Amino acid sequence: MAEKENEFRVSPGEAVGVVAAQSIGEPGTQMVLRSFHSAGISSVITTKGLPRIIEIVDARKKPKSPTMRIYMEPGIEKNYEKVRSIWRKVEEVLVSSVIDGFEEDLRTGTLMLKPSKEKLDQFEINQRTLVAKLSQKEGMNVTSDEGIVKIKVKGHEIKQIRTTFVNLLNTPVIGIHGITKALVQQDDDGAFYITTSGSNMEEVVKIDGVDKERVYSNDPFEVMRMYGIEAARALIAHELKETISEEGLDVSFRHLSLLADAMTYTGSIKSVGRHGISGEKKSVFARAAYEETVKHFTNASVFGEVDDLSGVAENILIGKQIGIGTGRVKLGISKADLKKIKGSD
Amino acid sequence: MAKRPVKCSVYLDGRLIGTVADGAAFASEIRKNRRAGVVSGEVNVSFLKKLNEVHVNADRGRARRPYIVVENGASRYTQELKDKVKGKEIDFNYLLRKGVIEYLDAEEEENARVALTEDRIENSTTHLEIDPAAMFGLTMSLSVFPEYNSVGKHALASNFVKQSQGLYSINFNNRYDARAFVMFYPQIPIVNSTAYRTLNMGRHPSGQNFVVAVTTYYGYNMKDALVINKAAVDRGLGRSVFYRSYHDEERRYPGGQQDHFKIPPATTDGYKGEHAYSKLNEDGIIEPEFEVKEGDVLIGKVSPPRFLEEQTSFGVGEEKNRDNSVMLRSGEYGVIDSVVMSETTGATRMTKVRVRGIKVPEVGDKFSSRHGQKGVVALIVNQEDMPFTNSGIVPDLLLNPHSLPGRMTLGDMMEMIGAKSSALSGIKVDGTAFSANGKDRADSYGTILEQHGFNRFGNETLYDGRTGKAFKAQIFTGIVYYNRLHHMVSLKLQVRSRGPVQILTHQPTEGKPRKGGLRFGEMERDALVGHGASLLLKERMLDQSDKADIWICKRCGDIGYFDFIKNTPVCPSCGEHTLERVEISYAFKLLLDEIKSMHILPKISLKSE
Repeated sequence: MAEKENEFRVSPGEAVGVVAAQSIGEPGTQMVLRSFHSAGISSVITTKGLPRIIEIVDARKKPKSPTMRIYMEPGIEKNYEKVRSIWRKVEEVLVSSVIDGFEEDLRTGTLMLKPSKEKLDQFEINQRTLVAKLSQKEGMNVTSDEGIVKIKVKGHEIKQIRTTFVNLLNTPVIGIHGITKALVQQDDDGAFYITTSGSNMEEVVKIDGVDKERVYSNDPFEVMRMYGIEAARALIAHELKETISEEGLDVSFRHLSLLADAMTYTGSIKSVGRHGISGEKKSVFARAAYEETVKHFTNASVFGEVDDLSGVAENILIGKQIGIGTGRVKLGISKADLKKIKGSD
Repeated sequence: MAKRPVKCSVYLDGRLIGTVADGAAFASEIRKNRRAGVVSGEVNVSFLKKLNEVHVNADRGRARRPYIVVENGASRYTQELKDKVKGKEIDFNYLLRKGVIEYLDAEEEENARVALTEDRIENSTTHLEIDPAAMFGLTMSLSVFPEYNSVGKHALASNFVKQSQGLYSINFNNRYDARAFVMFYPQIPIVNSTAYRTLNMGRHPSGQNFVVAVTTYYGYNMKDALVINKAAVDRGLGRSVFYRSYHDEERRYPGGQQDHFKIPPATTDGYKGEHAYSKLNEDGIIEPEFEVKEGDVLIGKVSPPRFLEEQTSFGVGEEKNRDNSVMLRSGEYGVIDSVVMSETTGATRMTKVRVRGIKVPEVGDKFSSRHGQKGVVALIVNQEDMPFTNSGIVPDLLLNPHSLPGRMTLGDMMEMIGAKSSALSGIKVDGTAFSANGKDRADSYGTILEQHGFNRFGNETLYDGRTGKAFKAQIFTGIVYYNRLHHMVSLKLQVRSRGPVQILTHQPTEGKPRKGGLRFGEMERDALVGHGASLLLKERMLDQSDKADIWICKRCGDIGYFDFIKNTPVCPSCGEHTLERVEISYAFKLLLDEIKSMHILPKISLKSE
């Protein structure tokens, strides 16, 4: 067994980074650049394919389509009603989506909302919750009648009043901010879980009944904030693997894991490219050879940088044997000492 | 609110000129007048219902095509007119004048409802297609049986036809094209199209009718490789002549200096040696019918020096002229075909030299049928070793059977039996698109083949030329018109082990005319890094490229040089002689120089291993 394990070990001096880059890059050429949107009504849309890979590797702060998978605590996992009540708390419902229409009077600063009975029922809310939510806002005078909610806003500047109205209409009545859509789904074991578009881990975790250890988000930065860099590292590698497998391609997980390591080893998520990993290389020549050549040379001259020519790019440039693979090994004895040994022989 | 009647805007050549109440009626009024000859036939009008606009176009640059006018469900091209056309009483232009045929541009086509055939005319039909094959452009309409081929192959086939060698011009002997191919024995295709005949393409054919057997040959026609018959090649199959014209003139320079056509004296800069100029006449230009090979000078020319001579201690030194002769392109050979001497508009002497070389098909030359079935010759087999048919016919070309099913070029197979039946019966076969039903075609060719004692599907028993034994399988054999394309190995082959380098970087040159090396690019470099092959990588990037020995000062870290007079290295910065010889890439030295030019002083500290 130990022997077998040894066989799989990477030899010293193996250019793992280059091999990883090639192993990810080559299948990447086969992936379609276009992001397809699968047709269908009740599905959560996610970015797929090459655009998603680029998004992860570039360490974008705001992914195009953040999504979450919320698992329930084992006790209520199979209880549809309970899961459904949690779902109610997750999906964000805006004021504008529960009213039939509104009338605004900019002169007096009043806004008349006509809450729709049907729409309210659909989201299992009543008019009182709506009024309560709106009253929380500052500077509001909310009065409620049957089928009508009247809001009086302080202030007299028309533009300001109008902005307040628009903000009011976009206020969430129930749900978590940022989660535009949520769906209850069932896995093979009969357990229910919720998938969402939009991600907000901080809030989701606060809901009772949610399994805090199994909440999944595809936004590395959010995972990093909530669970730390190790979790983010695992997420990056996992998301890459998922995206690539979805295209029907096969890349060894070790390459993706190495990439994730390289992106996260500093303790924060670094992008691949001149603003991230490559931009922080030690050698001036290696940085200059990649992008923004002049910038690096001028900076190096201003700060009097020294390049000890230890990397691969530098040695190719000056024409020395590179310190990788067969160039890794060096003679332990100095030439002078070697002569002495020969002489004594 | 009552709807206000909206007026329809009228645009002439894209400019708004006014409005009308009813756009559709306005457009049809113009059409009526156009057909009557009141309005020019070059005017097109279209009514855009959605925008409620009428566009009248009479400007240039619109692509237009003809249609037969249909009115009240009846074609204007009546039987009476058809008879008159047949009797050559009237022609196309007559029909055009009489409004029977009219040209539509892309915009007006949007208003038209075109019937493909006369029996499909409905009440709403406005036009009738002259012929379904008229939908194609020039190159496509020359193709045969296109309706049986896969769409992708049409684009390929059209491109290949344009690359074919043939008799491109009758006066090729009087022309000095930079590059031209003329086939020895071009043939008119047995199967051709109406457009081919109408355009008189037979006047300058571009290929030959090959006898093709669809079979393998010991793996020599795998993929797109072709096996051809040596005897056929010797008889002139695919043989062509290649012309290349060289051009030069006696340029005038500011300061009254001028180039001169002459055999350069041995004192000129860049003198290529007596031998190179041995074929030149006294006027410095080669004579016709001289055999030339690589390294020969065709036009001897001496140019004045590029820069003014530096002042030497002896005053102005003697002017050193440059050799600016025109040499034969590397890797080419041939005979001087003709030489002309003339004058340019700038009143300088000008000469053109045309070299002719015979290009016999060889391994590596490209051929293609008119169905996008291209191939490269991989083996030229002696006639004795080729398979032969019952009637003793030896095919010119062996096509791999795998090249047919996947590519779905059924037109190729249709041509094979069509041309075969035509060759047997002497009855011409027409391959115009949509001119007949596929089954009827195959049946009629099959019947002819049977009448002449052949299998109706084009299959034949073939015998192995090596053993004389019959092959167990029946082999599909027929005639296909093949083009020889102008991609030939003899014009592309290039090798280099040592050779010229660029002055600036000391790296090998690039490209065939400069005897260049093949680029070992970034991705190739990464592959070697990935393998950890550090010494191989060093050999590629340094030893085989721009290796340079450079002296580096141990004290100040600057680059020095070796003074051969004093036989010691010198550092120009600090004047020391303590320098070390280091092997680096010249590109790096160049980089250091460029950095220095930006007022940055890079220093190198040395460490002994």
